[in-house]
Amino acid sequence: MRLYVNRVLSLLILIIVSGCSASIVPPEVEEAEKQEHHLWRAEAPIYLPEEYDQYKALFHEARKNFIRENSRFHLFRNYTNITLQYRNVLNAGAQLYEELEKKKQELSANIPIKILSFRKKINTLRGLISLMNEGRLARQDLVKADVALLEAEKYHEKSDYKAAEDKILQVSSFINAAEEKVMPIVNRYGNQDQVKKWQHWANKTIDESKTNKNLAIIVNKSRRTLTLYKSGNPWKTYQIGIGRNGTRDKLHSGDHATPEGTYKIVKKLPKSRYYKALLINYPNKDDRKQFLSAKKKGLIPEHAGIGGLIEIHGGGRDSMTYGCIALDNHAMKELYNLVHIDTPVTIVGAVNFQNRISSALQEF
Amino acid sequence: MNQKILSILAFCLIAIVLMAGCAKEPAEDIHAAKTAVDAVIAEGGEKYASEDVKKINDTLTAAMDEIKAQDDKMMKNYAKAKELLAQAKTDAEALKVNLPVKKEESKMNALAAQEAAKTALADAKAMLAKAPKGKGSRADIEAMRADLNGLEETLTEVQAAIDSEDYTVASQTANSIMDKSSEVSAQITSAMEKVGQTK
Repeated sequence: MRLYVNRVLSLLILIIVSGCSASIVPPEVEEAEKQEHHLWRAEAPIYLPEEYDQYKALFHEARKNFIRENSRFHLFRNYTNITLQYRNVLNAGAQLYEELEKKKQELSANIPIKILSFRKKINTLRGLISLMNEGRLARQDLVKADVALLEAEKYHEKSDYKAAEDKILQVSSFINAAEEKVMPIVNRYGNQDQVKKWQHWANKTIDESKTNKNLAIIVNKSRRTLTLYKSGNPWKTYQIGIGRNGTRDKLHSGDHATPEGTYKIVKKLPKSRYYKALLINYPNKDDRKQFLSAKKKGLIPEHAGIGGLIEIHGGGRDSMTYGCIALDNHAMKELYNLVHIDTPVTIVGAVNFQNRISSALQEF
Repeated sequence: MNQKILSILAFCLIAIVLMAGCAKEPAEDIHAAKTAVDAVIAEGGEKYASEDVKKINDTLTAAMDEIKAQDDKMMKNYAKAKELLAQAKTDAEALKVNLPVKKEESKMNALAAQEAAKTALADAKAMLAKAPKGKGSRADIEAMRADLNGLEETLTEVQAAIDSEDYTVASQTANSIMDKSSEVSAQITSAMEKVGQTK
């Protein structure tokens, strides 16, 4: 009996001791823990959020089951299913890692291409706006695009592709903002109907100069030139400056635009604020018609008048007048002495379909 | 004698079963651990020590999983769960102590970058103010002034990032503004040289 009790006691002690000793955990458990951490460090939640969530759900389920199994009494533990679950997790993790590397490689390759493309676009737009005084309106947006592009480059260098992509989106929005400011102004110069209209005015003036054997002035805003015609032939050409918003057609007082149309010299001023000056008869009939129409449509400030006192004057071909046409003094002196009252003055945006602005537009 | 030993054994077994079966969820330990972790996250732990925070969160998750597994059992044993909770709490508290240092370093870098950008911008503006006018340069000056205005507007983003403690983003943007301001300064110098005025 004593022997029997001793044997039972020994068996009991053996069971308790073996229950207290560490169980052999499948190695897949630790591997999966490391893999999960590795994927997190590789930013899988950022680049493949949905796929990562699916993987995490699988991982978490396996871990829950492992904990449950692990908490059982040693003799009753069975890790077979746990091992299979964890192997599934490891396979899913490996696949996710492969997809992640592929995604990052794609971004790594695409981002420099996008950066280059946007840089080109910024430079082309900058070239376009340099042809017009109004370009300053878009420059703030372009410089912001420049800064965002620099940041995108730096993020790409650090392999932070998500941040680089976000910056590229910003670049795009700044370029769009710049375009919105200048395109309505420059599109006219690429518009065939508009250019034909200008051509018609210029040709009519030249024909009349030929017929009447007199002088005529043609101002070309896109080329920034004033050409003096004699009996229908170009005689002298001068470089000019135009209004602060000179690329536009003048609509009202204070808009700083240089008008377009057919005019004539109505007064010669030997001494003006800007050296010598030739006053033209802006506004003409068409200008008044345009003004009234714009006013009706609410395109003009309520208090604004049509404006006037548009001159060809000296003071330097500074390209930032209030709407007038400016020449260097020596050029103004020569012109002043050659022309007279009633000399026709026709102001156009361009006379060629392929003008400086339309060519730059095409490049853009 | 044998019966006495058997009785003692039986009594011990019953006592163990009763004690294990009556074990309660370590609610206080859970609360303490979660509070410590939340405190670290509130201090910006995810921004400045993301990997450490993840490890702590993983430990907390493992503890909660362990508790859930024990809840379903008749003979509950929360010893391991308590151990994990204590570890999470200790790690979180240690991290919280070091966090302000990391945060302050990041902030100082951002502020330095902001100052450098402001200086570069101010230098460019001062140079532009001295640029010669006339002879067709007014349009160029207006264009460069527009550039500097654009940079000044972008500088407000740096302050916004600093205010929301996005110090890395702030530093990045400030450095880009500084580079661009220097570029504009170089353009101004080039324009001045063209007009025959070098300084």
